[in-house]
Amino acid sequence: MSPQAREAGAQRGAAERSTGSREARIACCLVPDLPLAAQLRAEPELAGLPLALASGPGPRAEIIGVSPEASRRGVRRGSSIPHARAVCSELRLRVLSPALEQTARAALLDAALGCAPRAVLVPRASGAYASEAAVLLDASGVAALFRSEAGFGAALAARAGALGLPGCIAVASSRSVAHLAARRLAASATQPGEVCVLPPGSESAWLAPLPIDLLDPGDALAETLTRLGVRTLRDLLRLPRSALGARLGAPVLRLIALARGEEPELPLPVPEPSHLSEAIDLEFALEQLEALAFVLQGLLSRLLARLEARRLACGEIGLALSLAGGGRDARRIGLAAPTLDLRVLVRLLCASLEAQPPAAAVVAVALETEGRPLSLDQLDLFRPAGPAPAALGRTLAELAALCGGERIGAPQVADDHRPDAFAQVPFRAPGRGLPARAQPANSERSTDAEPGLAVRALRPPVAAEVHTQHGRPEWIRSPVASGRVVQLAGPWRTTGGWWAREQRFAYDYFDVQTSDGSVARLRFDHLTQRWQIDGLYD
Amino acid sequence: MYTIPDLTGRRKKDETQGVVPASPPCPLVARRVADLLRELGPQLRLGGAPAEALVHCPTGIPELDRLLGGGFPRGRLTEIAGPGSCGRTSLALALLAEATQAGEVVAVADGADAFDPNSAQAAGVVLERVLWMRARRPREALRGAERLLAARGFAVVLLDLSAPGPRVAAASWLRLAQVVATTSTALVVLSLARAAGSAAEIALELAPLRPCFTGTPALLEGLETEIALVRRRTGPSARAISVRLRGRPAA
Repeated sequence: MSPQAREAGAQRGAAERSTGSREARIACCLVPDLPLAAQLRAEPELAGLPLALASGPGPRAEIIGVSPEASRRGVRRGSSIPHARAVCSELRLRVLSPALEQTARAALLDAALGCAPRAVLVPRASGAYASEAAVLLDASGVAALFRSEAGFGAALAARAGALGLPGCIAVASSRSVAHLAARRLAASATQPGEVCVLPPGSESAWLAPLPIDLLDPGDALAETLTRLGVRTLRDLLRLPRSALGARLGAPVLRLIALARGEEPELPLPVPEPSHLSEAIDLEFALEQLEALAFVLQGLLSRLLARLEARRLACGEIGLALSLAGGGRDARRIGLAAPTLDLRVLVRLLCASLEAQPPAAAVVAVALETEGRPLSLDQLDLFRPAGPAPAALGRTLAELAALCGGERIGAPQVADDHRPDAFAQVPFRAPGRGLPARAQPANSERSTDAEPGLAVRALRPPVAAEVHTQHGRPEWIRSPVASGRVVQLAGPWRTTGGWWAREQRFAYDYFDVQTSDGSVARLRFDHLTQRWQIDGLYD
Repeated sequence: MYTIPDLTGRRKKDETQGVVPASPPCPLVARRVADLLRELGPQLRLGGAPAEALVHCPTGIPELDRLLGGGFPRGRLTEIAGPGSCGRTSLALALLAEATQAGEVVAVADGADAFDPNSAQAAGVVLERVLWMRARRPREALRGAERLLAARGFAVVLLDLSAPGPRVAAASWLRLAQVVATTSTALVVLSLARAAGSAAEIALELAPLRPCFTGTPALLEGLETEIALVRRRTGPSARAISVRLRGRPAA
């Protein structure tokens, strides 16, 4: 580093220290009505329609969530379903789904982790704010990346919106102030996605005129404070802290700490390993695979959007089906390579369900996966470029859907004395572990450019009817080689696996040329006393 | 491939620019050109730009590479047909060995589930660079080969359709040839009898000559096979060579 650059860096650091821009900054992304947002995330076609959420499927259930369109038509929370239908004939009614709400909450965390390395979900609130969901994330130093904290907030709002979770963003110097600011913004904002940035040092002045209800004091404490004439945070902070604590206990002390922005805060945690899940409770039991495929497609598209937000790809998928009658069908679908290809994943799941259909109608579906990093390809000047990792991953997934994941991979010579033994290992993106020109292990290829004679394996071995003379084959009859034995070499005896009954083998191998021109690898199984052909020289 | 100028006075539509009139044909020159075309056959093309040179994947077998003009052409479909024990699998493994040892990645769409890793390793194939798809049916292998070609980046895609099964439709071969033409992959098809027809750039037919059992006690020393170039879209065909395949592979 040059002296001028070092001096400029020192000046920049001094300026940051003087302005306090190195202080911790916390952003809060708040979705005010999570159950409604979760339902719209699962059924985006309901956006713009009057929608209400009911607490249960029965007629006695009450409305617990109302979209703005339904609210404008007179539908209110707490009303009964018949009343809501009478007020608004075109009302779309859905039953509250805890599974959808849970996955939407996790998706909010994914949106945050797509913008910042540290984020944490705010625990569920109670009372008037029970339906909100908020995530706090580390916004320190983001101005350098997004030009400003407002730009960061806009990017965060856009990312949450892309996952179907429209929220309000606030940036402040502490968790509690950022959360209160986001809550205040959500109450006053005309449309989601608005951003509020509180510069360091201005929080106290901004908090002072806010109503005390924003702190969610609880019904009893709120009533007491109202009787005392406390309506804003400024009113609360004017009262003597010790006297209030002596009369009203610890809850009011916590409110005072919140109002001052002095609540003790731990550093934001590093996120857990990327375990993602999506689930849905179906209103009607599904029996047809075609209908189930539509449900799976919706779940997968939401799961992939979350993975994409975190710059991850889908690894092995766990599919859990709740069946009518209380049964459960759980299965895991392996992927040859991580992928974000929706079409391929839907085909994989459908292929698994076609191969092994669920025992009864499906009433709930849950998908889970571990996010895997997308492979990046470092090209080599001295090595031919193979298939691109993304294309290779998609191809492997398509091939797995075509003929099964266990039949796709790189061949491997098995650590086994059986001549027909083989193994298949997952195929990896080539190149990193091997030199540009490589010589395989145990290659018998000579330098005189005379190619080796290969064997075509017969899996499973073909039974053969063999006539012998003095223990040597004379005539063979089989679907692959038949006729008089013209020439013969062998036998080579191969035995092993004697330590386990199911692994034992004892073969005598012969190379035989039959009169029909075939050159076959014939073996006599001493355990079963049968002749078989397990390969053809070709 | 040699190209001679168009001296006969014929001009293609795209070559006529402006109002330059075609020169009258010279009977002597035209007759001489016709004689040359008749004698040298497909090695000569009349006029036009020279054909784009094909890139080849060598097999490491000098006689075969000479016969094919450098090896199996990339971006084209090549068919190797022959009965059992004719040596087509050995030729395919030689091709895979050359490609993988050069650092390339190859794929095997195995419609017969007959690929033997022991033989492949003995032939010199770097197994880590082989993507092996064990199809349950030839049709799966065909569809798998299409997907492997679409992935691009594989030097060789080996499609093994040697298992007896329903005949592949001609349209499928043409589609495969179209797909492979957009890639730099050499598509090699193994079959019991020629099936790709005009979709194949090159077709080889193999016939076993004799297996070599030598010594006392006898040992399978190798297999002699005749490789006939029965089709080449551009260039001479109807030539044959004899190749000896060395045995006995790892058992």
